[in-house]
Amino acid sequence: MSSPYKIEVENLNAWYGHQQVLIDINMKIKDKAVTAIMGPSGCGKTTFIRCLNRMHELVPRAKVSGKVIFNGVNIYDNGVDPTWVRKRIGMVFQKPNPFPMMSIYDNVAFGPRIHGIGDKKLLDQIVRQSLEMAGLWEEVKGDLRRPASALSGGQQQRLCIARALALEPEVILMDEPTSHLDPISAAKIETLIRRLAEKYAIVIVTHNVQQAARVSDYVAFFYMGRLVEYGPTKEVFERPRSELTERYVTGKFG
Amino acid sequence: MERIIDLELRGLETMVAHMCELAHRAISTALHESLHHGDSYDKVRETSDFLMILADQVEDKAVEIILKFQPVASDLRMVKTLMRISYDLARLGRYALDIAYVNKRFNGVRDCDEWIREYIKNMGQKVMNMVELSLASIKDKSLKSVKEISYLEREVDELYKSFLDKIAKDTSESRAIVSSVLIVRYLERIADHMVYAYEALIYMLTGRRELIE
Amino acid sequence: MTKLHEWFRRLNDKLVHVLVYLALIAALTPLFSVLWEVFRRGISAINLDFFIKPTPAVGEVGGGVANAIQGTLITIGLASLIGVPIGIITGIFLSEYSEAKLSSFVRLFNELLNGMPSIVIGLFAYTLIVTKIGFSVAAASFALALIMIPIVSRATEEALKLVPATIREAALALGMPRWKTTIFVALKGARKAVATGVLLAMARIAGESAPVLVTMGYWKWWFAGFDRPVAYLALNIFLFAKSPFENWIALAWGSALILVVIILGINVVVRLLMREKRL
Repeated sequence: MSSPYKIEVENLNAWYGHQQVLIDINMKIKDKAVTAIMGPSGCGKTTFIRCLNRMHELVPRAKVSGKVIFNGVNIYDNGVDPTWVRKRIGMVFQKPNPFPMMSIYDNVAFGPRIHGIGDKKLLDQIVRQSLEMAGLWEEVKGDLRRPASALSGGQQQRLCIARALALEPEVILMDEPTSHLDPISAAKIETLIRRLAEKYAIVIVTHNVQQAARVSDYVAFFYMGRLVEYGPTKEVFERPRSELTERYVTGKFG
Repeated sequence: MERIIDLELRGLETMVAHMCELAHRAISTALHESLHHGDSYDKVRETSDFLMILADQVEDKAVEIILKFQPVASDLRMVKTLMRISYDLARLGRYALDIAYVNKRFNGVRDCDEWIREYIKNMGQKVMNMVELSLASIKDKSLKSVKEISYLEREVDELYKSFLDKIAKDTSESRAIVSSVLIVRYLERIADHMVYAYEALIYMLTGRRELIE
Repeated sequence: MTKLHEWFRRLNDKLVHVLVYLALIAALTPLFSVLWEVFRRGISAINLDFFIKPTPAVGEVGGGVANAIQGTLITIGLASLIGVPIGIITGIFLSEYSEAKLSSFVRLFNELLNGMPSIVIGLFAYTLIVTKIGFSVAAASFALALIMIPIVSRATEEALKLVPATIREAALALGMPRWKTTIFVALKGARKAVATGVLLAMARIAGESAPVLVTMGYWKWWFAGFDRPVAYLALNIFLFAKSPFENWIALAWGSALILVVIILGINVVVRLLMREKRL
């Protein structure tokens, strides 16, 4: 019996020191769909997704309360190893961050290698599949030993996506993945996201309202640390239930 | 905070308001002439043609706004609705023209029996009422007349059906009957379009797709 | 702008140019004159014997500094073996765990050690080690290691700070435990800078004489165990130069030349390494 929801967030609260940045978040993330998180700067959207793969707690004086249930397990339970979580819930960052000194191959193979896969044949296969899924294989297959820093911005970001895919995660978190890219690269990544949604649960943070409308199946609007509205994209964008949401998406926020 | 799109949306609203006035004038002129003497076919034709052109312009402007601003939520609903209403108003112009043509070729219902003229007068009043209420609601962006519109719509429908029943039983063959049936038909269609326009207004203001019974 | 005004401005400009060049010459002259002097006097002492014969006995003709070279290498080697790992670990600690309460204490200690006169460090090593086992390579290496630690530590810390946090985040997000990211990811990126720091530290101690004098003293013979002293190039210069023997004085100049060559060499290598990194 598999639930349609990949992650269920219950009463999530988060702090940086004394400042509370997330207040009572309750949300269910659907599998095989794209969920966009939007909101003005400082609303807590980045903190939110970093709570989903236990990256938030790496910041000094960060604190979390509440539950994040993934595959029936609350990832904040005492016995849960954060690296176990991060292997299954991958993350792609705003600024493409491939390991600069390493080759394209080594970048993608990094994840599997640190989790114990050493067999060369298997690694070759994983690297190829991940690059294919990220839509980068055709462009780099000629020479995988090239350093990652030789790629363009858009290619680097796809490399980062391939790197995350190599671990065969179940959820992929993306923190404003296209905000540092030119429009053509951004469009390619958006197409890739839609394709990945056939297999994975994707959560994407974006400050671009249009992108949220284009790319997502479900959209959540965060404001000042609270979840203000959450629903199917068409509904939220055609007829927002909250006045705040209406003002945000139509650009009436001061 | 005024946005760029607000300026454009206002322009769109102004065009539709203008169309409302023109449509109203065309229908009331044509209806009046069906019962009384008059000679404004050319005028009505001009107005109707102009309404068609304006509807095209509204559509173009709406598409331009969508292209430029990718509007969402209430903005998007407004653009969609104004496009829809402009189409309904152009239809109104066409029906006014059709009535004016009947007036020209058949002398309207001036040659008809008293009872027919009474029917047309009654129905005409109710339909003009609907037109006025709808156009006022569009201008004011309010939904306060929804009950009246619903009521009037039902009445017009009943009048339409009972008129046709009566005509069916009438055995006299006068060409006046033809004109009256045509005009009654046009009146019924005008009423329908005013209901569609009102339903579009409800969608624009609330986001709900409701039908007026 | 009048013609006179403009003429003044151009003159001013040229004047400043000339002054700058003069200052440059003034700064470089001492360096070059020292180098030249060392080269001139030392080159005559360099021959095969120089490299294979040990310190000559009183009255003996010829001789070399083979044992001093051996002693220098062993002492510096042992000092590095102690100082470099401690320095690197300190640097890692200061950079990665800077929010720990201990870190400000460690940093202060590091700064103090850095500023301490090397003779004082030598005395410290004397009281700690020489009093127990006598003048020895161990004591000298210990003193030199203490001098190295702050240099290596600072270089490591700075190098780690240069590794962007985004790289570490990427590794963490892939499920690498934090301690591993420090070692494999951050250090990997900081390799060259740390190596540079280590080389500079070695260049520094190669030239130190005071702490070695206090902990090892002058010695004429080959290496005989870590608990005994050994001949040392920097000390040789000091002691030979004071002597009345011609050949000893020549050896002193030769040792000076070798030392200068070694230290210059290390610096050149460091420059090359750093240039590569910027590419």
